[in-house]
Amino acid sequence: MPTTQPVLLLIEDDPQFRLLLTTTLENQDFTVLPLTKGQEGLAAIRSRPPDLLILDLGLPDLDGQDLIRGLRTWSDLPIIVLSARNQEIDITQALDNGADDYLTKPFNAGELVSRIKALLRRVSKSADSDPDVFQTGELKIELAKRRVTVAEREIHLTPIEFSLLSLLVLNAGFVVTHRQLLVKVWGATHTEHHHYLRVYMGQLRHKLEADPTRPRYLLTETGVGYRLNPAGS
Amino acid sequence: MKIMSRKVAITCRNLLIGILAPLALTLMDWPMREALKPSNILLVYLLGVFFLALRLGLLVSFVASITSAAAFAFFFAPPIFSFAIADQENLIGLTVMLIVGAITSQQAEDVITQSRLANQRERRASALYHLSKELAAAPLENEIIEIGVRHIHAEFGSRSTILLPDRNSRLTYPANPPSAISLRGTNLATANSVFQQAQSGSSPGNNPLQATAFYLPLIGSTGPIGLLLLEQHVPPRILPPEQRQLLDTFVNQIVHTLERARLAEQAREATLKIQAETLRNSLLSSISHDLRTPLATIIGAASTLDTDHDRLSSGARQNLVQAISEEAYRMSDLTTKILQMARLEAGEVVLNRQWYEPEEIVGSALRRLETKLKNRPVNIRMTDSQSLINVDAVLLQQVMVNLLDNADKYSPGGQPIDISVDITPANIIFSIADRGPGIPIEMQQKIFEKFFQIHAESAQSGAGLGLSICRAIVEAHQGEIWVNNRDEGGAVMQVRLPLLEPPPAIDPED
Repeated sequence: MPTTQPVLLLIEDDPQFRLLLTTTLENQDFTVLPLTKGQEGLAAIRSRPPDLLILDLGLPDLDGQDLIRGLRTWSDLPIIVLSARNQEIDITQALDNGADDYLTKPFNAGELVSRIKALLRRVSKSADSDPDVFQTGELKIELAKRRVTVAEREIHLTPIEFSLLSLLVLNAGFVVTHRQLLVKVWGATHTEHHHYLRVYMGQLRHKLEADPTRPRYLLTETGVGYRLNPAGS
Repeated sequence: MKIMSRKVAITCRNLLIGILAPLALTLMDWPMREALKPSNILLVYLLGVFFLALRLGLLVSFVASITSAAAFAFFFAPPIFSFAIADQENLIGLTVMLIVGAITSQQAEDVITQSRLANQRERRASALYHLSKELAAAPLENEIIEIGVRHIHAEFGSRSTILLPDRNSRLTYPANPPSAISLRGTNLATANSVFQQAQSGSSPGNNPLQATAFYLPLIGSTGPIGLLLLEQHVPPRILPPEQRQLLDTFVNQIVHTLERARLAEQAREATLKIQAETLRNSLLSSISHDLRTPLATIIGAASTLDTDHDRLSSGARQNLVQAISEEAYRMSDLTTKILQMARLEAGEVVLNRQWYEPEEIVGSALRRLETKLKNRPVNIRMTDSQSLINVDAVLLQQVMVNLLDNADKYSPGGQPIDISVDITPANIIFSIADRGPGIPIEMQQKIFEKFFQIHAESAQSGAGLGLSICRAIVEAHQGEIWVNNRDEGGAVMQVRLPLLEPPPAIDPED
């Protein structure tokens, strides 16, 4: 059924890398629209919105960050950004501007495919309803009942711990930036209070992880944010 | 004007003394005129003339001898109270006195001049000595200028400033802030035109005499190196020759010192350049070796896959693809390290300090090496793992990753890595211990140097950058990193970071 294949818009200026990604993704039954420039990409999105955008941050014609910010004013299109500069600050900014996920070059093409699939899944799921129960390994979280168990044993969480955890559950598999967590849990006035986040994440790890120094569920993306690992077995 | 009138006043006073002193002697001798012979009285007058010559110079002594002759003729040589002299003996005596007076006055004047010149020479010599002594101890252009300006002010009473050209041979204002004795408000355009004239070889005599300043090019061994601006006294006057000579000597001293400082600076720059060159060469050779080796594998495997694809067994193809992938990751790791080292060295890295739990940093480093450490036991011991430290977590995680990576690389498979974190009131110490061969004592310092490898070109070799990156990051945190050998075998890498401030308070949850 070629018509139901998800359409991916790829904006990447390096020809070899564009060819590699196009080949790999087409091989995974995606329809790929490869473009070189940001302006062309924006025009394509306006005329016929794709299912997902893969955006290289280092574009020749316009700043990738501006593109994301502009796009977010009128579109919810899922975005994965690719960054060649291994600079956490670029990635954090892209995520705070509204990108959904990121990969730093060089990366494994298989990793990109699984991120794309996860993102498309999340979009289709949230169209139905928010998942009420999240389960991975021995960890089970029931959002409506505000109940968290590890290996069937109920864990008591404080209200802040629970709201942190539920934010990560709603974005399971995706990184949530420090800023996003701080704004949603503590409010817009606390965006610089990173130490609150560290302390509460530490408490959550001690309550939920078997070995808090080698976490399986609550993963740190150093300098960027946190990610709840949906495959934490 | 003032100076002139003062000089005239002094001369008038001295001439008056030249007249009054013989009259005083006359008064002294008068009561004794019966007892003394006229020839003795003449001797007293002669003595007076001689003293005046010694103290006040030729003109005064001349006036004094005329007055003395007149007084002698009038008061002592008979007939008394008349300028006539009857006695031939007295006439001869008076003539002899005048001649002797004239000769001794001339002699005395010479002595005075000599001693004044000697004094002046000594003062100049001492001024020059002090100038050269201070200049000899001044290594920097700014200091040289400051010293020069200060001594010129002390010696000539004029404010001055020294302008040096920048890289485009345009004169610029001195870098140090002007002091009270430096000349301000210089017109750079005029200064530059004088300087350019000097450069083009116009005769140095053509200095424009500006209303406010006297422009003196500083001529070095290879041409003009700057410009001295000397404040003109009001009204403008040309310096007397000996002053002008002294000024020229001062200027020469300053020029020589400036040239010496410049040569020293050039020598220093040359040394630095050579050092940078050596470093760059070792960087290039190291990088080219470490990048070319994996590239050789990648290119070779890819071309084999390209040309012999159908003749290869699927297992062989798999191996080649695997090799390409592994070597590409190795190159990726290396380029990341090279870039990171370059950024750290260029001083581009600003620490993004935030409060973190040490547990989280160790945990995320372990997570990054998850695949590598799959089959190696890692023991972690932490005291007070949930206290906060203020660090750049991305960089500190890099330190942990590099240290853990080394521990894994250099110890036999299956042997554990022991991590411990100890917090004292003032410090946090991370220790990462392996059970490898340890580090020979004589290399325990060297391993933190760039491109140093204990076993160069071994199969495990990286570029010798990992530990120097660690050291740069740790030192940026004002900490230190060192290595010891364990008694039971293996090395312990330790990182100490100072805890500079207490962690911020956390409001309790309601």
